[in-house]
Amino acid sequence: MEEKEEVIKVTNLTKDYGQNRGIFDLNFDIKRGETFGFVGTNGSGKTTTIRHIMGFIRPQKGSVQVLGMDAWKDSCEIKKYVSYVPGEIAFPDLTTGIAFFKAQAELLNIKNLDYTNSLIKRLQLDPSANLKRMSKGMKQKTAIVAALMADKEILILDEPTTGLDPLMRETFLELIKEEKEKGKTILMSSQMFDELEATCDRVALIFDGKIIDIADINALKNSNVKAYKIEFLDKEEYKKFKKLKFKIIRDQEKYSQVTIQIEDEKINHLFKVLKNYHLKFISEVKFNLEKHFKEILAERLKGGENV
Amino acid sequence: MFSKALFKQSMKANWVKWTCVTVATCVMLAIVIIALGSLAIDNIRDSLKGVFQQADQESVLKSNSVDSYELYLTTTQFENGVDTMSAIPGGIAINMMWGQVQTEYEQNYQEFVDANSGTEPTEDDLVKIREQTVEDVYLYFTEGSFGPIIGSLGLSESEIKQFLTVTVMAYESDKTLTETEARVTAIENAFLQYVQDNAYEMYMQQEGSTEELATASSLAARALASQAMQSYKTKSAEEGFVYSKDDFKEEANTYVNQMIYDQVLATFNITDDSTDEEKSAAEQYAVASKVISNTAISTYELWLQEYGNAEKYPDMTEEQEKASAKEQASASIMDQIDEEVAAALKELGEMDMYGLIIGNLFYRVAGILLPMVYVIMVANGLLAGQVDSGSMAYVLSTPTKRRTVTVTQMTYLMLSLLAMFLLVTVVSVVSIWVVGGNNFTINFAEILILNLGAFLTMFAFAGFCFMCSSIFNRSKYSMSIGGGISILMLVCTILGLFGSDVVPAAMRIDQMNFFNYLSIISLFDATSILSGGMDFLWKFGILALIGILTFIVGVFCFEKKDLPL
Repeated sequence: MEEKEEVIKVTNLTKDYGQNRGIFDLNFDIKRGETFGFVGTNGSGKTTTIRHIMGFIRPQKGSVQVLGMDAWKDSCEIKKYVSYVPGEIAFPDLTTGIAFFKAQAELLNIKNLDYTNSLIKRLQLDPSANLKRMSKGMKQKTAIVAALMADKEILILDEPTTGLDPLMRETFLELIKEEKEKGKTILMSSQMFDELEATCDRVALIFDGKIIDIADINALKNSNVKAYKIEFLDKEEYKKFKKLKFKIIRDQEKYSQVTIQIEDEKINHLFKVLKNYHLKFISEVKFNLEKHFKEILAERLKGGENV
Repeated sequence: MFSKALFKQSMKANWVKWTCVTVATCVMLAIVIIALGSLAIDNIRDSLKGVFQQADQESVLKSNSVDSYELYLTTTQFENGVDTMSAIPGGIAINMMWGQVQTEYEQNYQEFVDANSGTEPTEDDLVKIREQTVEDVYLYFTEGSFGPIIGSLGLSESEIKQFLTVTVMAYESDKTLTETEARVTAIENAFLQYVQDNAYEMYMQQEGSTEELATASSLAARALASQAMQSYKTKSAEEGFVYSKDDFKEEANTYVNQMIYDQVLATFNITDDSTDEEKSAAEQYAVASKVISNTAISTYELWLQEYGNAEKYPDMTEEQEKASAKEQASASIMDQIDEEVAAALKELGEMDMYGLIIGNLFYRVAGILLPMVYVIMVANGLLAGQVDSGSMAYVLSTPTKRRTVTVTQMTYLMLSLLAMFLLVTVVSVVSIWVVGGNNFTINFAEILILNLGAFLTMFAFAGFCFMCSSIFNRSKYSMSIGGGISILMLVCTILGLFGSDVVPAAMRIDQMNFFNYLSIISLFDATSILSGGMDFLWKFGILALIGILTFIVGVFCFEKKDLPL
């Protein structure tokens, strides 16, 4: 893989709000054309990180660079290349969606609204609706249109799918994929693992203000290590199997069930072994980002307890 | 540094508020000015002023009544003396008196010449000779066989001596008179001259009196005395009986009352062409004056009796008794009420109602209340409100600098306030023009300065609220600090109003002036503007400075802080 230009580079970023809240020593970068996901529980620091990138917050330590510029000092210059969908949707005190788009177009110095209109159609948005009376989904769509209308090269989306119905979410994710295909760099945060899994190249898990892991979705999906769930008919055999040197990632004694992880090359060896056992079933456990992170988190917590 | 798009957005977001506040304030101001202009609030003030003038007039009237009464009494008593003397058996009273005066006077004169080895007596010496003669003649008549007769007249020692002094003067002026009638006339003339001289002296002693005034007054006194004499003569001839002392007083009272009645009526210049209304008004006024005069004289008599009580007032001379009694009798309403109350009422009469209601109540309180609400709401909405809700993110995610945002929003706030007060100014000027500028104590220049003052006050508040809006990320803090302190200051100004000089002393609580030190609205010195002072200028400067500094602080704070967007 060729080394691409780093569009967003976060170095040792720290913002301590006290009481263990804030973000601590974050390091990551996002390359040109990459779609980067942020996942984490409420209050884990996703939004704080995004605000730093947007230049709304001054870092306590470390720095954020966007296209080689300091996010805080050159915050205005950076905005020429960055679009943003905020996590909390609140519009300026204007009457309708149209008025809002016009005002944004003026601020963005956009003369031609054709692209905006096509986006509106795409998301089935009624822009003449009163901004205050819009439903949450409508507001979200409006915010997305406002962010996409300038067609800038970097897109930062803070939980953009909250409030969208499943169908709309699909449309939205398609839109994101299209933007990605156009070569845009996208940073997107979410609490939904599946949508990040579907759209992102890499996903970072943030927990308590720290990046626990950055998962490379493509690598994980194409990995030669797979997991299998096996249930035994006989408890004795189940116990016997456990003594063998397979990597057990999940053990459910109640059902005489184990989940093992095994490289593709060793699959034949497994079947040879299993020939002597009476099984109820065996099934492959598909890769799942959520599970992946949960496992890492569980390990991390265990490790934390040991310390 | 300035974003047209954002400015338009702020205008769209706030024009309803702006219109409501501007229209309400303008209408309020127009109503206040037109109501004040047409209802003529100065009526009360004028009537109070009238009361004070009337009280003064009343005092003068009473004092004059007592003077006239005294004068009349002396005249009639004198005349009575002449009459009674004339009635002494043999009709020789005047001649006897004259004769005795002649004897004693010549004797005293000769004694003086002898004692001073032949030199003629000077004017001062003549006064002494006169006084000696009066003493001698008085002793002769009271201690001799004439005593009972003199006593029956009911005259006091001073009255008799006065009569004798006049006789001496009459004798001095023409020593050759022999006929009784001629002697009576001479005494009468001497008396009138005596009255005139006394009155002249009296008026010259008064403060601010000129020679011409004293001369005129003394001639008037002489005329009055002469008139009294004539009236008495006629009356006594018709009724043909001898007056007792109390009768003189009653007659004197009636005479003075009638004279005052006639004089007052004359000042109204009532002719046959006058309407009934005018006639009855004049009549009423004249009767009222008559009653006042009557009261004054009765009071005078009562106080004279009181002071005449030798046990209570052993040290009082007759002159002092009369002066004190006159002072008591001529007291007006204003002298009777408490000094502080009188001062308060007087101040109320002199109060500038237009200045109080328009200058202090409208422009410093009522008129800036709505603009203040506007400033609090809009200043908050321009920054803190948008940061709090998150909508600021849409502006700041476009290539718009934070400084551009603050400068644009600040410009909007300032210009909208300026436009508001320009309209208010136009309304105030037109309203005053409509009700007629002459009725108003506030002229056009002053109303313009008042409007400027109100604008500068709001400018300072706008800066302050803008600064709070810039510092805080939460509407509730921006509102409660910026708005809270602004409203607090307005409330302090309302409370402070009751401790300031513009409120009449009767309603003023001096301690409440303390509140004025808590409010920057005190720097809008409407009193100084309306009284033509220059103090308001440097205070205006401070207000402008507060506005500018807080705006600048606001701009910088917003650049430095973290935004939760």
